[in-house]
Amino acid sequence: MNTQLIDHLFRHHSGKMVSILVRIFGLKHLDIIEDAVQDTFIKASLSWRNQLPKNPEAWLNTAAKNRVLDIFRKLKTEQKHIPNINQGTDSIAINELFLDTEIEDAQLRMIFTACHPKLDPRDRISFALKTVSGFSTKEIATALLTKEETIKKRLSRARKTIQSSGIQFQIPRGKALTTRLESVMEVLYLIFNEGFHSNRKDTLIRKELCGEALRLVQMLLKKEHTRIPEAYALCALMCFHAARMDSKTNSTNEILDLKQQDRSLWHFPLVELGNSMMYKAVDTAEFSSYHYEAAIAAEHLKARTYEDTNWKKILHWYQCLQTLQPMPSHILTMAVICLQTKDYKLAKGYLSQIKAEDFEQRAYLYYGALADLFTATSNLKKALDNIDLALKIVNNSLEKQYLEKKRTDLVIKMKKA
Amino acid sequence: MKEFMMIFIGADYTDLGLSPEDLQNRMGKWFAWNDKMTKAGIVSHGDALTPQIRRISGPSRTVTDVTSAEVKEIVGGYYTVKASSFDEVQEIAQDFPDYDLGGTVEIREVMVFDQ
Repeated sequence: MNTQLIDHLFRHHSGKMVSILVRIFGLKHLDIIEDAVQDTFIKASLSWRNQLPKNPEAWLNTAAKNRVLDIFRKLKTEQKHIPNINQGTDSIAINELFLDTEIEDAQLRMIFTACHPKLDPRDRISFALKTVSGFSTKEIATALLTKEETIKKRLSRARKTIQSSGIQFQIPRGKALTTRLESVMEVLYLIFNEGFHSNRKDTLIRKELCGEALRLVQMLLKKEHTRIPEAYALCALMCFHAARMDSKTNSTNEILDLKQQDRSLWHFPLVELGNSMMYKAVDTAEFSSYHYEAAIAAEHLKARTYEDTNWKKILHWYQCLQTLQPMPSHILTMAVICLQTKDYKLAKGYLSQIKAEDFEQRAYLYYGALADLFTATSNLKKALDNIDLALKIVNNSLEKQYLEKKRTDLVIKMKKA
Repeated sequence: MKEFMMIFIGADYTDLGLSPEDLQNRMGKWFAWNDKMTKAGIVSHGDALTPQIRRISGPSRTVTDVTSAEVKEIVGGYYTVKASSFDEVQEIAQDFPDYDLGGTVEIREVMVFDQ
């Protein structure tokens, strides 16, 4: 007996079914629909225990269709203006909505709904993970390092906004599409970053977030209207980062920086996919921040060893990024790059453009860079002062260890001097 | 060889707020367990039960419909297995997937009536 199901079949199918049912019944029945879909999975998990159906996906689709009719009957007894889907043509229409292309269309509509500008930006991510990706509130809370209560509040706020603003379950056209696509890409970018850059040790949930973002961006690329160069660039960026996922942690799950990573663990099919995405992405006169970020990530991948890194090129891409989207963190990164290339004068210039307050709780990064600059220019006393400032505010234990090691090295150096 | 019944008692899945991913993973564990028992040739029968309960009790045969949400624990399913002792079944029951959800396995020996 085959007992192997496709990974995440239930999770992905949940997003599909919610989207199709919302397309049929409308967003105002989202609550009932989500419950109905949940019921289908509970039923499957019990009745499949001893014997898997021959075609699990078809089973789920049929179950979902039957749930449609159940919901319909339930709604009909409660209110009138429901399309009569029991009859011939409408039931054919419903069958058609379960075709693969229609499922994708419904899911895309759901993504665009989740990223509607009327929703609070923080609510968009939670809502998308719930309705499009089939995560539970608990899973979203774990993934976003937030309390489950907070996620519940965000979800209910998003639902209320959708109802009160009468948001349509549609992909906008024309100018509205351009702005909404920006919001969609931003949400996908944030979901990916939550997975990729988070310092949490639980690698499984991190990979799942990245995988989800990658899956959704590829969905954008399948449709003509949403297949834009920025989306290709975003996809390339995700591929390049994801290729390094397994080398980001060591066997005890500690986070490794680029210098320490085992480059033989990089996943080359993803690099290649990223390259082909990038090739399509550059077919435009105007580059987006995703283009530059992807270019930076690609540059890191090109280097066979850390020492081979082409810092000059990376610095150039950061300058482009900074022009397009000025941010203190870009300036700090440029300063760190100059420290790598031993261009201390330029590093100093960059650091003088920013201050600790720009980085709030991550100000230890700023002090750390200053300390490196002072160490490199033999001003050890000032270097030590800055390390101490950094140590005072750092709360991430790995970063703290890293800074403490630096401090010890520095003290030894000072004794020798 | 004697026959034993493992009875599974616990909260109903519907009331636990499990995610689709949880459900799929849990189902995978049930597969693996069932597979293991089938290969060992010890399982003779098993079923999962729906959470709907109709109770008939007392001399007046009072009927009550109860939902799983109203009772903390519910019999969710059973397996009958062939084994030589309680200890052997206890060993089999180690792989029951739902202990982490507060689930319980009750082992009972099927009574044999001698002539």
